[in-house]
Amino acid sequence: MSGAIGAMRADAAKLLSEGAVKLVLGYCVRGNERYPCFISEAAQAEALDFDQSCRQNLAAYLRKPEVRGRAPLAVVSSPAVCRSLLVLSSESQIRENEVRALAIGPKGYGGILGLGALGAWLKADYPDLVPEQALLDRVAELSAKTAQERAKFWMKEFEKCTRCYACRAACPGCYCERCIVEKNMPQWISSAAAGHGNYAWEVIRAFHQAGRCTGCGACEAACPQGLPLMLLNARLSQDAFEEFGSRPGYELEAKPLIGSWSAEDDGSFIR
Amino acid sequence: MKLLDRSKSTDFAAALAAAGYRVAAPVSDGGLVRIKEWAPGAEIAASEMPLNSMKDFLFPRTEVIGRWTLEGDGFASQDVRPDAPKTAVLFAKPCDAAALAVLDAVFNWDCKDCFYNAKRDAAAVAVLACGSADEHCFCTSVGGSPGEAHGADLLFRPADGGLRMIVEPLTAKGKALADAAGSALSEGQAQADPIARPAERFDPGKASAWLASNFESPLWKELSLPCLGCGACAYACPACHCFDIQDEGSRSESVRCRNWDSCGFGLFTLHAGGHNPRADQSARWRQRMMHKFSYFPQRFGRLACTGCGRCARLCQAGMDIARACARISPRENA
Ligand code: SF4
Ligand code: SF4
Ligand code: SF4
Ligand code: SF4
Repeated sequence: MSGAIGAMRADAAKLLSEGAVKLVLGYCVRGNERYPCFISEAAQAEALDFDQSCRQNLAAYLRKPEVRGRAPLAVVSSPAVCRSLLVLSSESQIRENEVRALAIGPKGYGGILGLGALGAWLKADYPDLVPEQALLDRVAELSAKTAQERAKFWMKEFEKCTRCYACRAACPGCYCERCIVEKNMPQWISSAAAGHGNYAWEVIRAFHQAGRCTGCGACEAACPQGLPLMLLNARLSQDAFEEFGSRPGYELEAKPLIGSWSAEDDGSFIR
Repeated sequence: MKLLDRSKSTDFAAALAAAGYRVAAPVSDGGLVRIKEWAPGAEIAASEMPLNSMKDFLFPRTEVIGRWTLEGDGFASQDVRPDAPKTAVLFAKPCDAAALAVLDAVFNWDCKDCFYNAKRDAAAVAVLACGSADEHCFCTSVGGSPGEAHGADLLFRPADGGLRMIVEPLTAKGKALADAAGSALSEGQAQADPIARPAERFDPGKASAWLASNFESPLWKELSLPCLGCGACAYACPACHCFDIQDEGSRSESVRCRNWDSCGFGLFTLHAGGHNPRADQSARWRQRMMHKFSYFPQRFGRLACTGCGRCARLCQAGMDIARACARISPRENA
């Protein structure tokens, strides 16, 4: 991994010194923690680091005007972040010349990749990014319960939610300028951190990621209350794949699942 | 001296519950420690830093403060009283107790907030002095101390290598707690343990002075770049007290709720007409710093940060208010 990190740092420094990008988004290590860091001078590139515990999805920063305003950008991108970049591209949120990836993962450093090259890198080295087995086992265990048991489980979890929206802030897919919970003229769903408002918020957040979630885990890692958000995300991803063959984040111009419609879609549930 | 064996922490909680207190204590809950209402069987993690603060019991994340029912053609206003059961907060942190002065000041400023004050009056707060601190603790930089219990009714001092606590009631409410504890407490002698000494990382006076004349500093853009604008920091903070008022209705009833709010959210200052005076995250994060270290001290003579470090521990983006303060007001000897 140290060779990969060295190559990534050298590329970041090169892009900055050549003026090809104005800002590099990466990770730095502070104590036992990994944090996002922002580098604008080649000499600072040594501060960049990467390992498997870098859990923030840096693609989330692309919705931030202060970051976006400094394009062209380079983003240190794990396979999950690369997928998020492709989802953002397929949803017309970012353009080819704005963002470049410094692609890095467990199999090493993939170089400076434009959005158009990410799909090939992912398909070659990470063709089957599926959640880890422990998570899939928990999903299966929960899916086997009755609807009442599941509702009970989730009510208990959702009750912990303070509506801090750290999960939303962490997710690159949550880029709405005005999220449903912020629609307050009139209020669409209760903003009180309790009961049905929490239920509505959690379910809507998860549903809005169906077929878009890249499984990066940043939302769950950000949740101060420890809600098991990945159980919802992973189950919805399974459904999106099984029902619609959706595997978000592998194609530059894929049709977003919840933004597209086909006459062949199963409509039998509409009565 | 009065002593509490650490192994009797739950006996103490049980005795208080039997005496009619709602007991709030740091409880281990699915791998995380929270201050929660204690129930028999729950394991108390007395020395852990809980992820929430005791403000949850005085200023809850949502609270009904008004209620109307539809009767015929009109609304009838219903009497809503504060829900303020007699409460004992056990093993709170010194920095959480210090934050009570912040909440007391703001909820008794131009208007006496009956909902807050009813809960505050009904609460007895027992602080456990800190034998250890982590790298995010900085009470000593903001005038606090891990061995003090300003704002508390009773102080526990760790003793005999953590096996026992020396019990020191500080107020009538604290004495009532000790009296209600019954056989959970014993008389005896114990050797107080050393108190944690987190490093002093900045000079708060200098930070306030810098802030007073640097509203327009270019540093705000740089410092705030990682912030993603959630409410994690404000909601975990024992001193943050901003709220939103929302009316919510069903067909037959309308309730007015007071919900936590955060200056980190874009919606916080968005005007109905669409203008937002805090247009970007740097303006919002500046507000967080300004409020805690400049405006609040100007108005109330104390900082609105007690150095608990929760905001930095929880922030996914690595925003760290103590680092920011150290940046603008380095200590001379540092
Ligand atoms: S929903 Fe969570 S896991 Fe899925 S892309 Fe967003 S942050 Fe990542
Ligand atoms: S981060 Fe956790 S507590 Fe905050 S809104 Fe999301 S689920 Fe709720
Ligand atoms: S400082 Fe961190 S916790 Fe606070 S609003 Fe910004 S991202 Fe959220
Ligand atoms: S600002 Fe941060 S460190 Fe200060 S009291 Fe609030 S949560 Fe604790």
